[in-house]
Parts: sequence; structure tokens; C-alpha cells
Amino acid sequence: MVNKVLVADDSGVIRKIVVRALNACGVTDIVEAGDGAEALTQFQQQPFDLVLTDWNMPNKTGLELIQDIRGGGSDVPIIMITTEAEKKAVLQAIQAGVSDYLTKPFEADALREKINKFAGE
Amino acid sequence: MKAEFINPFVKATYDVFSTMLNCQLSRGELSLNSGFQPDYDVSGVIGLTGKASGSVVVSLEKGVALSATEALIGSTADTLNEDVVDAVGELTNMIAGSAKAALANLEMSISLPNVIAGKNHVISFGSTAQTICVPFTCTWGKLSVEVGLADTAE
Repeated sequence: MVNKVLVADDSGVIRKIVVRALNACGVTDIVEAGDGAEALTQFQQQPFDLVLTDWNMPNKTGLELIQDIRGGGSDVPIIMITTEAEKKAVLQAIQAGVSDYLTKPFEADALREKINKFAGE
Repeated sequence: MKAEFINPFVKATYDVFSTMLNCQLSRGELSLNSGFQPDYDVSGVIGLTGKASGSVVVSLEKGVALSATEALIGSTADTLNEDVVDAVGELTNMIAGSAKAALANLEMSISLPNVIAGKNHVISFGSTAQTICVPFTCTWGKLSVEVGLADTAE
């Protein structure tokens, strides 16, 4: 069951889209971070049940964020939402320990499906 | 600027507007420009670097930018506020990112988007000799995508 979710994206618009999708999935306890470094700080300060992160962000990329989270021993589910759609990039993210991957542009239903996959557990 | 570089950007623009905004675009005649661009009210700019390097500029009329923002996040605006600027940056990011994926053989990386607002602003493409501009129309108004991309070895 997912109670608390961390959303990391430098785009406020994408954070709003993700938050709306989370709300639609019944998740309301959401912490937003505008870059990867801020997201890592938030992650280290409180427990999360799910992380949704962009790839290209200032200060720390989403890939580095995933590596840091996994390096710290956490197995929290992490969904990456990104324009990085090349096979090489997806493989990199999988190797870093991402749990699921959604490429932009995406249908609203596709995002809710990904969230529900973990929120329903 | 090779002609084959432009098609992934055109397809990406159709896809992003259709998927994210539920907005169908019609394409106009493309034109070759020489580095400078008369624009609409707001533009998103992203740099690409790799085996080919350059920039993509997505320019929107104010009405298109406002309607696109409303379609994306449901908030209405009548000025180019922070949400609108952010939405233009993100649309540009998605168009550049999708095109980059289709041009995977060029092994390009993309910069974070910059957004420039203001009527009749002009953008320099720097050392890129020639750009291709593709105009689009939709029910909200007009937009264009301009790409200046050259083989890095050139």
C-alpha cells in the first residue's frame, strides 16, 4: 500500500500532472522536489512508499538519484518519467535499479496505470 | 542542416500535441532560414549535442501557449505566467526528447529548456548556418518548430 510519495521533477507542470494522477489513485501525502539533490535530501529525511522521478534535472539527475537511493540500501519502488526513450537509456535506468519507466509524451491513463501497479500492492 | 534531421522533430511535435494536449496539428510549408527567426509570443529553446549539434526552438502564439497550459494542468491563465512558461519549456523538452530518441544514431544529449517570452523576440542560432522552420496551426492558433542541427564533424 502506498501512503507517501516523492515526486522529483524540475518542471512544475509535470509535477502538477503527476500529483493529479496520484490524487486520482487515492494518494494525497505527496512531497515535491524541484531537482535531484533536493529529492535525495527529502528521501533521506523521511520514509517514502514510492518515488517518481524525471531524468534530466539540475544539480542531480534522476539516474544519479536512483543510484544514490539504491546505494543507500532502499528497495522503494521508483518510476522514472522521462523523454529519454532510447534503448540504451532504458537499460541504464534498469541497471541503476529503476522499478518502472514511462516515456514522455504519455497518456494520462498510462501514468495512472503505472502508479496503480504499485499503489495497489 | 540535413533534411532528414527535421522529420523526427515534426513527428514529435504531432505526437506531443496529440498525446499530451489532445490537440491535432496541421503542418504548413517548411522554410529554410539563415539563423534568425521572427517568432510568436513565447519560445522554448533546447540545445542538442552529440554527433550532430544545434538547437530546437518551439515558438507559440500566446493563445496556443495559454490553451496548451490549460490542457496540460487544467489551470487557466490570461498572461504568460510561471505555469505557462513552464508548460512551454516542458513541451519543448518532450519534442526535443522524442526527436532525439528517433535520431539515436546521433547519440545526442539535450540541455534543460530555456523559455523566452515577449512579442517579436528574435533568437540567434549561433554558428549553425541554416535552420529549417516548420509552421503548424491548430484550433488554438499558430506555432512553429525551428531546428538548426549540423554534423559535429563539419
